[in-house]
Amino acid sequence: MARHQKTFTVGWLYPDLMNIYGDRGNILTLLKRAEWRDFDARLIELGRGTTRRMDEVDVFFFGGGQDREQALVYEDLLEQKQPPLERAVAAGAGVLAVCGGYQLLGHYYQTAEGERFPGIGLIDVRTEAGKRRFIGDVVVDSALVDIQPTTLVGFENHSGRTFLGPKAKPLGRVRVGFGNNGEDHTEGCLQGGVLGTYLHGSLLPKNPHLADHLIRSALRRRGITDLAPLDDAVELAAHGKILARSAR
Amino acid sequence: MRRTAAVWAGKATGVLSRFSRLGGGTTLPGDVARAIDPDVLRKLSRDLKHGAIVITGTNGKTTTARLVTWLLEGAGHSVVSNRAGANLIFGATAAALERAGANGRLQADWGVFEIDEASLERAVDEIQPRAAIVLNLFRDQLDRYGELESIAKRIEAALARLPDESHAVMNADDPRVAEIGLNLKRKPLWFGLDDPTVATHQLPHAADARTCPRCGASLIFDAVYVGHDGVYRCPNGDFARPAPDLAATHIELHGFDSIALGVSGVRIELPLGGLYNAYNAIAAFAAGSALGFEPTFIANRFGTVQAAFGRQERLDAKGRKLNIVLSKNPAGFNETLRTAVDLAGGHWFLIGLNDRRADGTDVSWIWDVDFERLRGRARVVVPAGNRANDLAVRLKYAGVDALPPETNPAQAIDALIAETPEGETAHLLCTYTAMLDLRAELVGRGWAKPYWET
Repeated sequence: MARHQKTFTVGWLYPDLMNIYGDRGNILTLLKRAEWRDFDARLIELGRGTTRRMDEVDVFFFGGGQDREQALVYEDLLEQKQPPLERAVAAGAGVLAVCGGYQLLGHYYQTAEGERFPGIGLIDVRTEAGKRRFIGDVVVDSALVDIQPTTLVGFENHSGRTFLGPKAKPLGRVRVGFGNNGEDHTEGCLQGGVLGTYLHGSLLPKNPHLADHLIRSALRRRGITDLAPLDDAVELAAHGKILARSAR
Repeated sequence: MRRTAAVWAGKATGVLSRFSRLGGGTTLPGDVARAIDPDVLRKLSRDLKHGAIVITGTNGKTTTARLVTWLLEGAGHSVVSNRAGANLIFGATAAALERAGANGRLQADWGVFEIDEASLERAVDEIQPRAAIVLNLFRDQLDRYGELESIAKRIEAALARLPDESHAVMNADDPRVAEIGLNLKRKPLWFGLDDPTVATHQLPHAADARTCPRCGASLIFDAVYVGHDGVYRCPNGDFARPAPDLAATHIELHGFDSIALGVSGVRIELPLGGLYNAYNAIAAFAAGSALGFEPTFIANRFGTVQAAFGRQERLDAKGRKLNIVLSKNPAGFNETLRTAVDLAGGHWFLIGLNDRRADGTDVSWIWDVDFERLRGRARVVVPAGNRANDLAVRLKYAGVDALPPETNPAQAIDALIAETPEGETAHLLCTYTAMLDLRAELVGRGWAKPYWET
């Protein structure tokens, strides 16, 4: 009988509809980096109408969508996904939410006309529509202490302005770009196992240290605290290119 | 008078721009002339003896325009058309200027203009085309164009302004294009593909229009041809692919060399490869039919067309054949990869990714491209362009062994030539400005012609 292999499971919320900014890169990065360490890496696709096996997920991913698609997942998120997602996070699962996904996990999104669409309130953030779209490269000095290098790089494209409440801590401070709201220099949020951010690009491929942080944090509840090092020269070269040109 | 002044100023700018090698003089003259007379394109368009055709959509504009132009020229007409990529209103204006005489009058029978989705409304208004072809709508350069939905709305607004006697020629296989067409007051002329032997049944990851516009249910695809273009229906019966008026059947694919297809009782042998070119051919055929050309005449003419600049352009380089294929968004890239790997059996590749404004400054979309198709098939892949490093990461996670990233075009070409055996073909799949950079290098080496001569 084959040696019992450790599993690592990614749950992708609405892979067919919330995938606008190359979000598959985040999924591939999580899965490959687990595989390269001899984990049995599994992907569970969580489309509309299913909550199957959400309790097996180590890291959830929730990406951004176009307006039409976002409207289509909204009802399902509030009525079906919210309870099992809350249970999983309470049990130590991680969540990476980008852009639209980040906004939907907060308290609400307020349109330019003042109409409020409630989110699921998993994180203590609120978002308001802004006039100008924030588009461009972003460099963040991360607040995470267990990652090396301490910078994160990505690309932002959003008109929402997100503000953090007291329970949510910023993922970091923007060195280049706008971040959460273009006012307070913060970018993203950290609250328990949930990491919300506006960065795509995709985010994790050029930030392998952040990918490993997510994997490690989620596996801690299963008593796994160390991940074998990988050769990240290719990833960090791409990371370094963005740092270098942003510094010019 | 004002028009004449605008025409002269524009023409002078074009000559200077080419002379000074600032570029091919493809859009700047349009800017200058429009500043002097904002109505210059409207006035010049009225001079066209038979009228104009505009072509829009995410992919295939240049090749379709080439086919329509070739058809009209074959019938003895003189045609004015904008050059590849110069597809904003300024580019169309510049093209019209170039053919205007000293009296400020445009001397041509037809205008054939490829028009960027965002410029279409203005173009329809000014050009008053006799036919507007809508090819497809895929995600492309979200940082620049915004979401698909807003583009679709702009196209719909533009088509609503078409003159009464004009034709909307539209792709029935693209759910988002069909949705626009079904909202129009007059029924469009629908085109599509009907050949299950070239279809798959799985939507690619990056498919956008996958839900019913009426009820939001996930569409059922009975056939998938290119991207989200195929034969689809809503499970609740709220929406379905309109029946094509002109459908391509019995499709044969021969690598990058050619395709053959049947339509209206004739057989078209097109010397361009890839299933995506079946759409360009059937779209141009439909427009030709709408304008009254006989099927046999169109088919004969299409059989002798040449590839447009940077679209399956073949060059000889030190005994190797280079095939340059513009690949600028996930839907387009997936098709050029499929053609190069599965149909042409390619082994040697250069992938060029730039992030300049014309390419899109956000390169996230490379994660929507199925580069996994190269795994185990490609012998050499050179990641090139100013974002070669991002490509190298993408290829690593696709399990594709690639050479080190090479941002310098000359060195990227050297690496490709060194690895490609003599007599073999290397495929260069590139975004727009990455293609221009590589081409400039190839022109410098005498392996390619400058683009104003293509």
